[in-house]
Amino acid sequence: MLRTVLGWVMAVGLWELVGRTLLAGRHLVGTPSGIVAKLVDNAEVYGRGLWFTTREAALGYLLGNLAAVALALLVVLLPGVERLVLRFALVVYCLPLVALGPLLRLVYGFGDGPQITLAAFAVFYLTLVPLLVGLRAVPQSWLDLTATYGRGRWTTLVVIRARASLPYLMAGLQATVPAAFLGALVGEFTGAERGVGVLSILALRSLDTDGLWALMLLSTAVSLLGYLLVAWAARRLAVEQPTVLLSTPGHGRGRSASERLLRALGGILVTTSVVLAAWVGVFAVTGLNPYFAKRPWDVWDWLVSSPESGAHRDELLTAALETAAVAIPGYFAGLLLGVVLATLFSLSPRLRRALTPVAVALRCVPVIAIAPLLVAALGRGAFGTAVVVAIMTFFPTLVSCLYGLAQLPGQVADVFATYATPSTRVLLLGRLPAMAPAFFASARIAAPTALLAATVAEWLATGTGLGNMMAVDAATSRYTSLWSTVVVVTLVALAAYALVEAVERRVLRVVAPEQLRW
Amino acid sequence: MTAAGVRGAPEVVCAAVGKTFATGAGPLAVLEPRDLTLAPGSVTALVGPSGCGKSTLLRIIAGLERPDPGGSVLIDGDEPLAVRRRGEMAIAFQDASLLPWRTAAGNVALAQRLAGRPADPARVSALLRKVGLAGFERARPAQLSGGMRQRAAIARCLVTEPRLLLLDEPFGAVDELTRRRLNIELPPLWSGTSTTTLLVTHSIPEAVLLADRVLVMSPRPGTILADLPVALDRPRRMQHLHSEEFTRLVERVGALLGVDQYAADEG
Repeated sequence: MLRTVLGWVMAVGLWELVGRTLLAGRHLVGTPSGIVAKLVDNAEVYGRGLWFTTREAALGYLLGNLAAVALALLVVLLPGVERLVLRFALVVYCLPLVALGPLLRLVYGFGDGPQITLAAFAVFYLTLVPLLVGLRAVPQSWLDLTATYGRGRWTTLVVIRARASLPYLMAGLQATVPAAFLGALVGEFTGAERGVGVLSILALRSLDTDGLWALMLLSTAVSLLGYLLVAWAARRLAVEQPTVLLSTPGHGRGRSASERLLRALGGILVTTSVVLAAWVGVFAVTGLNPYFAKRPWDVWDWLVSSPESGAHRDELLTAALETAAVAIPGYFAGLLLGVVLATLFSLSPRLRRALTPVAVALRCVPVIAIAPLLVAALGRGAFGTAVVVAIMTFFPTLVSCLYGLAQLPGQVADVFATYATPSTRVLLLGRLPAMAPAFFASARIAAPTALLAATVAEWLATGTGLGNMMAVDAATSRYTSLWSTVVVVTLVALAAYALVEAVERRVLRVVAPEQLRW
Repeated sequence: MTAAGVRGAPEVVCAAVGKTFATGAGPLAVLEPRDLTLAPGSVTALVGPSGCGKSTLLRIIAGLERPDPGGSVLIDGDEPLAVRRRGEMAIAFQDASLLPWRTAAGNVALAQRLAGRPADPARVSALLRKVGLAGFERARPAQLSGGMRQRAAIARCLVTEPRLLLLDEPFGAVDELTRRRLNIELPPLWSGTSTTTLLVTHSIPEAVLLADRVLVMSPRPGTILADLPVALDRPRRMQHLHSEEFTRLVERVGALLGVDQYAADEG
């Protein structure tokens, strides 16, 4: 106990020292004393901002999770619609939140509506996927049990699936606490009137590093509190840890390659039609002003058929390449760093024990809150944006990999122990393959997030790339351009997700075939 | 004494029941089409090697699996689904398949609820006492041993007084010593009632000890090699394991399945 306290005192002292000497004037890290001073001086302003942000995040969290549960139940009762629902949900997850902020603001007018909606969007998919896994991860004999008494889907859902999926739901509910903050913050970055995100932007403009740190720590603390609250509720409900990790459904078993391709193309066609129909339908029903609520044909016109479309495409391509140039290296750097650090930790049991609680805390950092901080610290160039992307990718990767590395079954570990295998070889032959499902699950989810991080950083600072293009479009009311960019960014995010998923299937087919069928 | 003709126990008539599964590598025949009748109130054991389709046959009789076209199962003239809907069927699975979040009593009571019967806690605890779980009513499956879980699963089957009882390797997941105890202790709870019973097992001694009739199945595609009556009186006891009839039947089944020395190892 004393040693822990001493350790913390020394760490904070070192931080203060480094902040005051080596890094003074670099706007990278504030000093503990400065942060505390900010917190005290601005207690009322920060407190109010935090209250607004927390309320938005909480409402979005509630709505997004309710939507996810409702859709999951729909899928269980009507299994035919599962692929469609999952694809549609993925499209929603891949929407560029930065551009939705200003667009939603036009719809809702002033207020918290956009932030709440964005929080719900950020949450929705992350709960839906594990919940569906949980609702389906039920032993066949439990299903036979209800069938034995001639009962149907409804009874099975109520008596068996609902309870069996609880651990998965709780895992989703925990993981989405920081995601809700992310959504709310992105909404605040892109033009809200109040909240921590707005305060962060103000602090960023005045190069107030201590203030940025204080705000980031406040968001993290609230997010961590929410996370612990859900974890406590899960324990109270006596919920066990879920065993299967967020895996996508296994499609196309026992089908030929051409058949799979045809089915995939058919699926894309159906999803595209549904998305387009929803787009047109929602706009028609709500009667949104076509001045800003552009329809698919307006986008088509802008991108493809109008005389200036060539210039538009060039503009978009240039911006996309700029974004890719930071997002791709950042993404891979984040993945690599996550894997390498998790691997190093796993080689030392002491380090692992010490870092597991830290990893839990890291999971709760609404990483996007760091974006303004990094932009302030590293400058408004490409490097700063790439670092934002890398960090955004790194945190979830590290946590997933630490979890995954521990998934080597005890009996297999015993086999290695029988031959006194050195831990590096156990790592190579046992732990890394065992880690693959967890790693890919997080890499898949992180691909659209990397794009989000890049566009947020660009929106906030750099003046390049798709994020900047959307910012300029929104500020200058170039709504057709904005909608077209939204479409393109969504498609790019979907492509990135699909690409990671394709690699995942290749790898898992070798190291974890059981993950591909459920 | 077989319980043939006891009022209420149904006759099960399978006509031309076979099963072929479609796989990536083409159709796979698991069960050759054949007729089979289970007499009312009888206890029939299906014994055979793993993968011979005996569980598939049980699942087809339960209506959980469809037979290939042309085959049919009738239980006193009814489709299996109708029997299930009336709550007159029960199945015991290889792994006890208790819901981990319910207590032992809760799992047993669940069958009452699923079968549409009024809740009857007194009956649940009486039955748990009968299967030897007195004092464990409030224990959760994780707190029970493998044998105790199977006892609870059997109680869950019996609580609805099923007319058709299907036992799919009910003791397959417990150790050999526990299995023998359960083989002696539990069957008296259902034999002699108005129940027709089908037991699927890969244990030859268990099949002979529990059944009035043993059907020996060949490896895939499964077909019935022999239909042997068991002339042991009831209730069956430990002593039967050493009777001449028991040994003769075990050796006979072992020979049919090509298991030499089976009786010496297991009997």
